[in-house]
Amino acid sequence: MDEIRTRLIKCFETVFPDLPAEQIPNASQSSVANWDSIAAITLINVIEEEFQITMDLEMAGELDSFPKILEYLKTTAVNA
Amino acid sequence: MTITESLAILRAAQDLPNPFQIQLACSFTPLHLKTLLAAHQQQRMPQRRAIVVEGVFGDLIGSIASASNPAAIAVVIEWQDLDPRLRYREGAAWGRTLAADLIDTARMMLGRIEQAIGQLPPHVAVAVSLPTLPLVPIFHPSTWQAGQLELLLERELSDFASRVAGRKLLNVVNRRWLDEHSPASNRFDLKSDLLIGFPYTIAHADQLADVLALNLAPRQPLKGVITDLDNTFWNGLVGEIGTDAVRWDPASRYYLHGLYQKLLAALADEGILVGIASKNDPNVVGEALKRNDLLCAQEKIFPVEVHWSPKSESVGRILKAWNIGADAVAFIDDTPLELAEVAAAHPGITCLQFPVGDYQGVWNLLRNLRDLCGKPRLSEEDALRLESIRRGAEFQQQAESGAAQSDDFLKTIDAVLTFDFETAATSARTLELINKTNQFNLNGVRLTEADWQQKLVQPGAFVLGVKYEDKFGALGTIAAVQGRQNVNRLEISAWVMSCRAFSRRIEHQTLKRLFDRFGVDRIEFKFAPTAKNGPTQEFFGTMLGHLPDNDFGIDRAQFESVCPALYHRVEEISGVTLNG
Repeated sequence: MDEIRTRLIKCFETVFPDLPAEQIPNASQSSVANWDSIAAITLINVIEEEFQITMDLEMAGELDSFPKILEYLKTTAVNA
Repeated sequence: MTITESLAILRAAQDLPNPFQIQLACSFTPLHLKTLLAAHQQQRMPQRRAIVVEGVFGDLIGSIASASNPAAIAVVIEWQDLDPRLRYREGAAWGRTLAADLIDTARMMLGRIEQAIGQLPPHVAVAVSLPTLPLVPIFHPSTWQAGQLELLLERELSDFASRVAGRKLLNVVNRRWLDEHSPASNRFDLKSDLLIGFPYTIAHADQLADVLALNLAPRQPLKGVITDLDNTFWNGLVGEIGTDAVRWDPASRYYLHGLYQKLLAALADEGILVGIASKNDPNVVGEALKRNDLLCAQEKIFPVEVHWSPKSESVGRILKAWNIGADAVAFIDDTPLELAEVAAAHPGITCLQFPVGDYQGVWNLLRNLRDLCGKPRLSEEDALRLESIRRGAEFQQQAESGAAQSDDFLKTIDAVLTFDFETAATSARTLELINKTNQFNLNGVRLTEADWQQKLVQPGAFVLGVKYEDKFGALGTIAAVQGRQNVNRLEISAWVMSCRAFSRRIEHQTLKRLFDRFGVDRIEFKFAPTAKNGPTQEFFGTMLGHLPDNDFGIDRAQFESVCPALYHRVEEISGVTLNG
């Protein structure tokens, strides 16, 4: 499980290179200024590439924070 | 390239100087195409930062028209740009009503795109991509049939592309290249199109970005091809089976060698130098090369190095005769050992094996050579190059046979220098020289068209092109100088001269002409040492008393104290003789 978290942090670092590392675990669309709709789609694609999964674009609106994405990966995507 | 990789490439380049800005004009959400285009462009110019900016959202023509002086613009056309009804997201009905005016609408829209491109500043490089996605299923034939309306649409596109391709600095993406690299069935993403307005799969966006970057900043073509003979240029070992028995004729199964010869001949016609390096008896080869059924005639080839010494030595002599670096040349041989020997002796050379008897392998080789040597456009100098090299070699032989650069020799060669202050600024050759020349190059700075245009609009700016010919033949435009006059001083920011023109005192005559024409007593030079501009350093070192390592100035008296006797007849582009 920690491995998923570590890899997700790497995805956030790729898409939001200016985001301080300590803020990533609590990052959300409301707290990260650059997390707009383009970044949201880019983040989904980077996560897909990192975890070799296919995510539903329609979930982009719901997956609006690091904890929610981590939870999604743990419960739905990676273990599926 | 993945999105993750592209973001990493861009992140690593974010502190690079001298940004190269590309405007991406498309009518869909640019999304990953923007990121991938920037990353592919970044890989092609590692010294500068590539930036891609998007235009007016959803408006292809508006994006072209509003481009705020980018270095380049990528125009990505999809079917919806010919008629909005050809888009899945569009709510309009499909059916016969659409068909009624589809072609007229497409023609009008393509005309508007052409007009917008025509209004771009001439220095902006343009890459145009024609529709890459499958058409919406609106036509009555099944998808495996090409209906008349679809064919008419294609004709409108083809007419449009052939018209805009005439613009200088505009390249049209080859759709057949894209067909090979991005399977048509894996290009369109309906879900992404409907949900976020981005119609491409990432794989297709990656290939499209790659080919757009290739068209926006084409890589420098190779300047020469050095070929082996036996089992490469022809089939068989000429020393064993004789001059009449080696084959390449279309009627035989050895025609793969004939096809190779035909490509070499075509490359030679385009100004690519072709030389021979063969371990053979020179007399036997000399006879074989006289055969009148050669598909690459002997006169297209120079030099011909035939003996029993290592091929790396032959390649070295050919490079010297051509006066170009190994990294601008391909060496073709059927033997891996020979390729390895040449590669070890000449780092940077492109070594390619001729795959004897392998039809697919030869086809790949021919296409690879075409890609390595391909040029968007041909110039007058391309036609002159081989003759110029041949004459240059004769010049060097004569110069070296007596006292090199002796006054007696230089007096007799009827050298004519033409200084062109009028048309050099707009000549593609001038910028080509600046971007290709290494040894006589004031500072090694490479310029885009946009950089070039910016220099030319400075107050007092000038460009000088220098043409040379002597009794050995014309070398064409072999030098260029760019600078500006600032009251009684002249500032030179670019000065290059082709290495083919060395040993003729052209650099002295050029400097003299600059002092005389502008009536100045001092010239300032924006100099920087590079790994290859030793000859430039030595030239100025004779005046300065030391090799320069930074910007410097030369007084007229300094120059005149070391300037040797000059024997050129000097003309301006008008043909007026200034001195002789």
